[in-house]
Amino acid sequence: MCGIIGYTGFREASAVVMECLQRLEYRGYDSAGLAVVGGQLHLFKKVGTIGDLAADVPDMQGGTAIGHTRWATHGEVTLANAHPHTDCRREIAVAHNGIIENFQKLRQELQRAGHTFASETDTEVVAHLIEDAYEGSLPQAVAAALKKIEGSYALVAVAREEPGLMVAARRESPLVVGMGDREQFVASDVPAFLPFTKRVIYVEDGDLVVVRPDSVQILDPAGRQADREECLITWDVEDAQKAGYEHFMLKEIHEQPTSIAHTLRGRLSEIEPQVLLEEADLGETDSLAIVACGTSYYAGMVGAYIMEQLASIPVATALSSEYRYFGQKRGTVIGVTQSGETADTLGALRAAQRHGCRTMAITNVAGSTATRIADATILTRCGPEIGVAATKTFTSQVAVLVLLALKMGLSSGALQTDAVRGYVSALRHLPSAVTRVLDREEHLRQVAQTLASSRHLFFIGRGIHHPLALEGALKMKEISYLHAEGFAAGELKHGPFALLTPETPVIALVDDDPVRDKMLTNIGEIKARKSPVIAVAPDHDAEIEAFVDGVIRVPSLPPPLSCFPTVVALQLLAYHVARERGCSIDKPRNLAKSVTVE
Amino acid sequence: MQAVVLAAGEGRRLYPFTDDRPKVMLPIANRPIMEYVIEALAANNIRDIVVVTGYKEETVRNYFGDGRAWKVNLTYVTQEKQIGTGHALLQAASSIDGPFLALAGDNIVDAQSLSALIDSQQDTAVLIEESSSPSKYGVVQLRQGRITAIVEKPPQAETNLISTGIYRFQPSIFSRIEDLLQEGKPHLTDVVCQQAQNGEQVGAVTGTGTWMDVVYPWDMLQVNAQALRAAAPRRAGTLEDPVTIRGNVRIGDHTVIRSGSYIVGPAVIGEGCEIGPHVCIFPGTSIGDNVVIYPYTDVRFSVVMAGVTIGSHTHVSHSVIGAGTAMGSHFTARHGTGFMEVENVLHTVGDAGVFIGDDCTVDDQVTVEPAVAIGHRSHLGSGAVVRKTLPPESNVM
Repeated sequence: MCGIIGYTGFREASAVVMECLQRLEYRGYDSAGLAVVGGQLHLFKKVGTIGDLAADVPDMQGGTAIGHTRWATHGEVTLANAHPHTDCRREIAVAHNGIIENFQKLRQELQRAGHTFASETDTEVVAHLIEDAYEGSLPQAVAAALKKIEGSYALVAVAREEPGLMVAARRESPLVVGMGDREQFVASDVPAFLPFTKRVIYVEDGDLVVVRPDSVQILDPAGRQADREECLITWDVEDAQKAGYEHFMLKEIHEQPTSIAHTLRGRLSEIEPQVLLEEADLGETDSLAIVACGTSYYAGMVGAYIMEQLASIPVATALSSEYRYFGQKRGTVIGVTQSGETADTLGALRAAQRHGCRTMAITNVAGSTATRIADATILTRCGPEIGVAATKTFTSQVAVLVLLALKMGLSSGALQTDAVRGYVSALRHLPSAVTRVLDREEHLRQVAQTLASSRHLFFIGRGIHHPLALEGALKMKEISYLHAEGFAAGELKHGPFALLTPETPVIALVDDDPVRDKMLTNIGEIKARKSPVIAVAPDHDAEIEAFVDGVIRVPSLPPPLSCFPTVVALQLLAYHVARERGCSIDKPRNLAKSVTVE
Repeated sequence: MQAVVLAAGEGRRLYPFTDDRPKVMLPIANRPIMEYVIEALAANNIRDIVVVTGYKEETVRNYFGDGRAWKVNLTYVTQEKQIGTGHALLQAASSIDGPFLALAGDNIVDAQSLSALIDSQQDTAVLIEESSSPSKYGVVQLRQGRITAIVEKPPQAETNLISTGIYRFQPSIFSRIEDLLQEGKPHLTDVVCQQAQNGEQVGAVTGTGTWMDVVYPWDMLQVNAQALRAAAPRRAGTLEDPVTIRGNVRIGDHTVIRSGSYIVGPAVIGEGCEIGPHVCIFPGTSIGDNVVIYPYTDVRFSVVMAGVTIGSHTHVSHSVIGAGTAMGSHFTARHGTGFMEVENVLHTVGDAGVFIGDDCTVDDQVTVEPAVAIGHRSHLGSGAVVRKTLPPESNVM
């Protein structure tokens, strides 16, 4: 996902575009740039966030500008690949969101015709096509260029010779026009320009939009003037970015069926069966360590259980802040970090490298520091996460670790292909299983009501459910400020038992696995102390009601993949407890999204 | 103009598929029925839409969200108990401040059908259609272009004109609904009939576009096939060489179709599917997202929902397979004429296969006789032959 913006009007265009870009940052932020048309075409780009761009942006005068914020899913994050892109003579600039499918062919043709390319992107082809067709009219040149393009796009172009004009078009990617007084906007999404105008036109697929400060003209694919109705926006910027959800965290919880599908997409093959992770070739390794902080650490612990189970490889897990100073540095070290900028995890990866270890990063941000340090990178591909409490990045990190476990199990021979096919088949069902958890949100809200007045809350589980209990407790602490602790169920009687009272609810994670009976015993011991117990259990567990005071049902999946629906239920539980308690969910006190200091 | 979409109903006659979703969320050409309704409204520039949800409402809210993807602004109200359509509409009263459309979210309708109704200047107007089986619906009696009565599901229909359940109203309708609710009449037809009896003008607007209803599971097949004809063809994903594709076929991103496969449209295949080698897909078929079809299987005139796995050497025809169901090899859905009992009424169904609910497990070598429904989360053991409709979570050894 990327964001585009265009402005033409009476204000200083570069300042307006910078402000609009900031509100598109949720669509991506690994590199950004803008082009301004004044007397000439000014271009400025930067690898990094919009903030980085803003810090260095030079004075570029002109009343028309286009901007772009990039979120690479394919292709490197480099200055050359950042938008806007220009033609050979730097007279025409284009910002684009989407995929030009036939760009390789077009690029070769253009190169044969003498065009030189500055980047590896598909977008640059558009700039050169416009250059070829340009005979003094940008609208005609863009229309001609689009005829040659296959794929999806929302794009906006400007030309040095025609200040006070921008031309936009869309096919399958979002584009809206914002209409002001003596100024006009085009953008990927309404929030970009909402502080300037609330009057918008939604552009239809195939439309060409010719924008001047005092006019907006829309042409349909046949080149006829098209009437597109104007709408008035009634919501504000923050609401808009939250897409109707009360909080970013809730939005991101609800995005998980999609984000998990994105993580897995193109990486599974059931019929063959195999796992396609070329980027993750670790070669032979006799020792594996996973290092991370916070939620990523718990994802790492879950991953370690899964790797040991599926690939029969011993895996050590360590907190980055400990490992970098004290850890045994040998074999292969995997750093898990959402932002790719977590200072302690970067430190741990560097320390491991100094000791000759092979390193791998699992991160959500292409081009982040972690990807540059590590020998190999697997991207979680789940889109920007804004809520401070990590949700969708946790499930995507675990999904990547499952893929890695399957790949290692296949290559080591620990897993038969038939077993792999079973897991791949189950992985395909993850998005729908998570959807079904979300569809039961109302019940989780009711359970949360009963917990909201508690002062302490315990989470227990065995095996893979131990790190899930830790993650459930962490979510609860982070956003509801309720004192929550996760324990390995077998450890309760070695100390924590002393804390149990009838006012201490216990959330017990029960699965259809070899330790189910042990869990039921633990639950019995807790019940004997009169603490209320709420089980999280799979749909097919017909007996669990008899042992506990309440049950949160999650769709049945074969262990260890059952961890996905379970953790989503715990996220929703934490969210609704925090909401009942009136907490600041998206900006919990004392916490920042990514911890880039040690 | 505003609109109220009624999406609260369960649609029990569509067992087994409505055990997991309300009728508005049944996939037709891989999109929920209600999506067609929302698009028809948006195409007429009706963007302020109130959705009345009830039965399994999260599925609706999670899919449509705030409506941004359809360029509309959706707000939701809940009808706690599904008493009737009038009662459902009443839940939206506080959000309506001018003339509005009220329509069912579980009928497929296109933009053209709605536009005549929107343009009609009458305070109350009903969109009517001709139907070949009017007694399934509310049959409309007309005099001079005005409605005099609507008779719900009469055994003998006097005309072939039916109410589509799509209305144009003024906000004053809400107080009438409230009055009739007191008298125990919770349906919109009650309100409209009363208006007609009182001699008020109730206009009838005849639709000129598409209006389709799915009443029984086997209706899904015809309606799906018809909707497929309108789906725009699209190539994406990976097609191995040689794969033959003929006619209007729409393929989603990241789908892999392996060599030797043969696909004849109209057909739609979702995202992230794995199909073949050597799989045949014939006209009138929808394949949802993340479906896996093993080699040497043929699927024709069927709806296969998301996340389904179909084993090799399997024959699926005139059938609907619920989301997440996994079928082993050598499954045969026999199709032909059969009898299906729906809500205590026995129907003769010509040319029907099997209707399998969500998340069933079907082992190898299973055969199902024509016109059989299987409840969700059932298990059909290896070699089973199923001859009659099964309740949810059945286990056939």
